[in-house]
Amino acid sequence: MSALLEIRDLHVTHAGRPILDGVDLTLERGEAVGLAGESGCGKTTTALALMKLLPGGFEQTGTMTLRPPGVEEPINVERRTEAGMQVVRWRHVSLVFQGAMNSLDPVKRVDSQIAQAIYLHERPASAKDVGARIGELFTTVGLTPALGRRYAHELSGGQRQRVMIALALACRPSLMIADEPTTALDVVMQAQILELLERLREQLGLALILISHDLGVLSETCDRIAVMYAGRIVETGPVKEVFAAPQHPYTKRLLDSLPVIGGSRELAAAIPGGPPDPGDLPQGCRFRPRCPYAAEQCLEDPALREVRPAQAAACHFAPWAQWPAAHEAAAEGAAG
Amino acid sequence: MSAPLMEVRDLSVHFRTRRASARAVDGVSLEWRRGEILGVVGESGCGKSTLARALLGLVAPTAGEVASDGASVNGKTALRELRRNVQMIFQDPYQTLNPRQRVATIVAEPLRVQGVDGDHDARVQRAMEDVGLDSGRFLDRYPHQLSGGQRQRVAIAAALVLEPDGLICDEPVSMLDVSVRAQILQVLIELRTRRDLALLFITHDLSLAWSLCDRLAVMYLGRIVEHGSAVDVIERPQHPYTQALVAAVPVPSAEARIREPLSGELPDATSVPSGCRFHPRCPRRFEPCDSVDPPLLAAGSDGQLAACLLHDPKRAPDAVA
Repeated sequence: MSALLEIRDLHVTHAGRPILDGVDLTLERGEAVGLAGESGCGKTTTALALMKLLPGGFEQTGTMTLRPPGVEEPINVERRTEAGMQVVRWRHVSLVFQGAMNSLDPVKRVDSQIAQAIYLHERPASAKDVGARIGELFTTVGLTPALGRRYAHELSGGQRQRVMIALALACRPSLMIADEPTTALDVVMQAQILELLERLREQLGLALILISHDLGVLSETCDRIAVMYAGRIVETGPVKEVFAAPQHPYTKRLLDSLPVIGGSRELAAAIPGGPPDPGDLPQGCRFRPRCPYAAEQCLEDPALREVRPAQAAACHFAPWAQWPAAHEAAAEGAAG
Repeated sequence: MSAPLMEVRDLSVHFRTRRASARAVDGVSLEWRRGEILGVVGESGCGKSTLARALLGLVAPTAGEVASDGASVNGKTALRELRRNVQMIFQDPYQTLNPRQRVATIVAEPLRVQGVDGDHDARVQRAMEDVGLDSGRFLDRYPHQLSGGQRQRVAIAAALVLEPDGLICDEPVSMLDVSVRAQILQVLIELRTRRDLALLFITHDLSLAWSLCDRLAVMYLGRIVEHGSAVDVIERPQHPYTQALVAAVPVPSAEARIREPLSGELPDATSVPSGCRFHPRCPRRFEPCDSVDPPLLAAGSDGQLAACLLHDPKRAPDAVA
């Protein structure tokens, strides 16, 4: 069976500046892949490029092939016109944004917003069927159907995020992209939403691209993870492998900078500086100016290559047998 | 022992609406000692931010007392004095800085408001140094010319320019990226070491609270339900609510975990449940929990307190944690 989604060599530029630089991503049916990285690294741009929702001024190249179950011909997203994309969005791929409050219409009852999405994609739908389906959707996401009569402001943050997920599921897509779906929520609500996403994958065979800067969230929900830095994927592999033995210094430093309850209470040294401006990228490895292990070789651009079974990293020195202690010490000094 | 930097006794802050009264803070007693990092954690709506605001007199208490240095904070003069000594920074560095003022003006503003004499420029310089910003490069900039992390540094510099003894930080890093937040935390920790600055950390991030704080208070619906050293409270929680909170923290690890998220949501502060306010969501409730409001009881380690009848030897069933 071929992959549900294949993105090859995706480039996005804005006013000549490279925002995404050769992103490859493959997703099997029912698989959950996490996109990690800091603001501006290209996580959301990847999602928007896939949906062809990038605002004017952005140029995208590369191929994006969708093979939804039950659809004979593969969908070549990159060749679709705007009208052609409207059939793909929501029906095959849906998107849940970060700010649930801002994505719901404040003056419409939430059930009528879901109904609207269904009518748009399935013309002959009868009002009765649509009503029953909305009831089902609400139950699926763990809301009592009566809440459908409410307006967005009458719901809590967690309830609104559930409505957004119901909306995303309305046309039974095979892939859902969730962009920071729990960032605005606190721990308990976050745990509930993550559990819901897990259940949906099981029940509906839904594939998931989860975008988050929170590595903990990704580790609990995803099968694989892709860590992005300055418009590129710098490391990818099964979540467990990447967290147990990161192979790119950036992944390593990101993991170190999160306190883990029960581990060391000492805060690790921060990664010095910030990510580069896409208009002013450093020569060679893009992480080089912030990397404690940088050497002369790093002036040459490292390719993303397999360094351990199923795990790839864009670092000349990978695979790292172990992280050198002397370098660690030097790094602490540089950061402090 | 000297008096705590700040203290609240039986503090309540109720907000009256037309139909109901919201008990945002409902009988809280807490000490914030000099030089310590005290954390207040809980879900959105538990009252932790209202508590912080009440400390600085930004909301009026309905009942109870706020004290600073052992003396009750009463009247305008005392409040003015307090605000000179204890400063506050907020979550969103995009909203707290005046977009039309240069950094130099923003950082010097507290000096003007408090009518401080002397060399303002030198104090601004020192505050900028303390937060790791180069005065030469940044003083002439406007907030829109700064990154999120730089803005938060400017906000901290403005809070430090009066050389306070305490800094209240309301979710200071929750909007920042991982690497930037580590940098800001480093700035705060260094300030505590170098200036003996006491920090009051309001956060819903339990991992952060655990690694950063000396002591921790867990709030639920306007009450402190658990209190003790940060390590005890997070690693050996004694209140079922704290246990659920800790269990809900996503952990970046190679191990898969089985999670049982707490069901339901925090009730509205206008309809506080009878008895223990956590009982409708509590997995370990027993008979008297819906009628008896538990006080903070000794539980777990030395100095650790939990407001749960499981720790009342006269009432608890045998299965004590």
